[in-house]
Amino acid sequence: MRGKVIRDVLVKTGNVVTAMTAGLIIGGLIMQAYGYDALHAYYSLLRHALGNPLTDAYPLTSTLSLATPLIFTGLAFAVSVRSGLFNIGVENAVYLGALGMVLASGLLRADTPLVLIIGSLMGLGLSVLFAFVAASLKVFRGVHEVITTIMLNWIAYWLVDYVRVNVFPDPRDPSKTIAVPPSARIPLLIRGTELSASFVIAILASLTTYFILWYTVFGYELRATGINLMAARYAGMKTSRLTIYSFLFSAVLGGLAGVCEITGRPPHYSITTGISNLMGLGFDGIAVSLIGLNHPIAVIPASILIGALNTGVRGMQIEARVPFELVRLVQGVIVVSLALPGLLSTLQKYLGIRRGRREVVVS
Amino acid sequence: MVLLIIAAVAIYMSLPQAPTTTPTTPTTPTTPVTPQPTKVCIVYDIGGRGDLSFNDMAYLGGSKAARDFNLELTELQSRSESDYLPNLRTLSRSRDCVIIVGVGFLLTDAIAQVADEYPNQLFAIIDGYVDKPNVLSVLFKEHEGSAVVGALATMIAGHYNKTTVGVVLGMEIPVLYKFEAGYYWGIRYGQEVFKGKTGREVNVRILYTYTGAFNDPARGKTATEAMLGEGAIVVYNVAGATGLGIFEAVAEAGAKEGRTMGPPFGIGVDADQDYIKPGFIIASMMKRVDVGVYTATRKALNYLIHKNVTKFGGILELGIAEGGIAMSRVEDLETFLELGVQAGTVNPQDRETILNAVVSMRNSIPSWMWDEAYKLQETLKTNKSLEVMGVKFSDVEAMIPFSAETIARLRSSLGVG
Repeated sequence: MRGKVIRDVLVKTGNVVTAMTAGLIIGGLIMQAYGYDALHAYYSLLRHALGNPLTDAYPLTSTLSLATPLIFTGLAFAVSVRSGLFNIGVENAVYLGALGMVLASGLLRADTPLVLIIGSLMGLGLSVLFAFVAASLKVFRGVHEVITTIMLNWIAYWLVDYVRVNVFPDPRDPSKTIAVPPSARIPLLIRGTELSASFVIAILASLTTYFILWYTVFGYELRATGINLMAARYAGMKTSRLTIYSFLFSAVLGGLAGVCEITGRPPHYSITTGISNLMGLGFDGIAVSLIGLNHPIAVIPASILIGALNTGVRGMQIEARVPFELVRLVQGVIVVSLALPGLLSTLQKYLGIRRGRREVVVS
Repeated sequence: MVLLIIAAVAIYMSLPQAPTTTPTTPTTPTTPVTPQPTKVCIVYDIGGRGDLSFNDMAYLGGSKAARDFNLELTELQSRSESDYLPNLRTLSRSRDCVIIVGVGFLLTDAIAQVADEYPNQLFAIIDGYVDKPNVLSVLFKEHEGSAVVGALATMIAGHYNKTTVGVVLGMEIPVLYKFEAGYYWGIRYGQEVFKGKTGREVNVRILYTYTGAFNDPARGKTATEAMLGEGAIVVYNVAGATGLGIFEAVAEAGAKEGRTMGPPFGIGVDADQDYIKPGFIIASMMKRVDVGVYTATRKALNYLIHKNVTKFGGILELGIAEGGIAMSRVEDLETFLELGVQAGTVNPQDRETILNAVVSMRNSIPSWMWDEAYKLQETLKTNKSLEVMGVKFSDVEAMIPFSAETIARLRSSLGVG
């Protein structure tokens, strides 16, 4: 049994490595075609993403710091997929999580850790509220979650931007909101880096999610609903209720990403113009979840991989002098090739449920 | 498999690494022999390259400095806000940069923090203010150039027998008050010039709108359409990308009356934007970010290598006299068109057409108006005691930094709103 698990993990890791190699080769060819030294570029990428952890921790901390929000959003999406939902609403959960912290900072106007507690409760509350709208429309009216969550993303976006511009702008710099007060911030793990204790929270969230999904009745039912809705219903599970819970679970994880970003990332500790410091984290979570094959533990290395890419591209610009646009293109190629295997299997599964063809196999 | 991984890691670890310090003690440089830095490093905010304005001008300045001072130009764009700090830290740690220039006030907080961590690294911040000995804050006297285009706006209104001019602004932040103040003063000054030249009295009504955004052309367009409806003939863009909507609105209004050139006109900002809607942008208030980057680099070299200045940090304020602010001329357009061609947004074949359109637009108003506007620009280099409606230009300057309260007072003494 254990041997089988190990073999399974190795095979899946092998797939990721193969996909990554393919992406690196394609990206490299593109760079060569534009006249840049691909090997030098990749070497700079690696050096700036990892450095030499024994003598210099900064590059690695930067990688882990950029991986942190992706762990949360990756988990949030993974939970949805596991319960048979294609929930794009993680993005709005991130915005609203951060919004809660800003509201608490603005309303309390006090430099106390209480802001963190009240702010995260408000943030998660707002995320859950939005998710509940999508969930109810899905369960009671049969409106597809992709449509509702995309629309809710924009509602949340403009709501947050309204607060940034009109309710709690920073009086010294109205391009951003007021900042979370110092004593409500999540402390840095290492001074002089961006790595905060959010990373630890993210790991804990991942372990907790794994435990819930695989070691509780609730998690079992959630996964059963995801694998075959009809069979789960036939087996007496309250699938409508489970669908709603799945939305809320995912919203809490997404909201945590927003809370941790705004309370744990120097130097701004606020929502910046156009929500540009949060935008896209939810969507990146989809890629992360797909790379990690929607498994809560595998989401961690997948996030670190993307975090390393995001950190390493700095080196490609500085040392290999590859222009930013090309760097982003190559990065995109690598991410797509990484996510492709997961995307295909997820789509297969998803379409399978819709047709109700799959057998009930709950491992 | 496992052995393979271990071997790979071992090889990677043994590869030569860049000289680095531990991040916990970045403030105490321990290496006795530091190689001389050889780069001029530019960090952009999320706006990034390709805007044909602010950021591309920073690149122009950086590449000119690199050429003239025999340095290497390193550019680092930011994917998101969370890149600011690591971008600045990575460059500071490399110790390769003579100076690290942060382009845009969004980088202010990050520069302030990294400047503390790396006191031996020199920084510059464009449009922001950081009070540290190793940071040069590059600010512009936007009020000077705004006064020049304000005067031009009045003369154009008088020429077409109109009485209304406007300005569309972005977010209500103190920097924009400087534009407002200069523009209003210039408009009133233009009235006196116009009267002196033609004997005719033109009493200009001034409209202003804060759109609340720098990145929303749709709002810029709506605001401008409202102003045009009120009879405005010239609208000044102080709104970044929102201003692109201003140009659209004036060009559409002109086209509706079957014209290929204004009136009505827009006035460009930051870069020479005259080519964006050729024939409908009468002139631009250029804010030469390139001059800022170039000057900051020169100062860093003087401090660091030639050691002929003893102080680096402080405020570098660039106005007309310093070549940091100017109203656009046709020659400037050629430079900026080149930038557009390089970036692929301007078709090389169109260059001539655009130039011709701009030149014939400029010729469509009497040449003395241009002369008077450029004369004001010359005068403001040295003489700030010009006075209109009881307000000297030096009075306007003395009110900087403006607050919502002081700008309101100035508006009422210059008869705005």
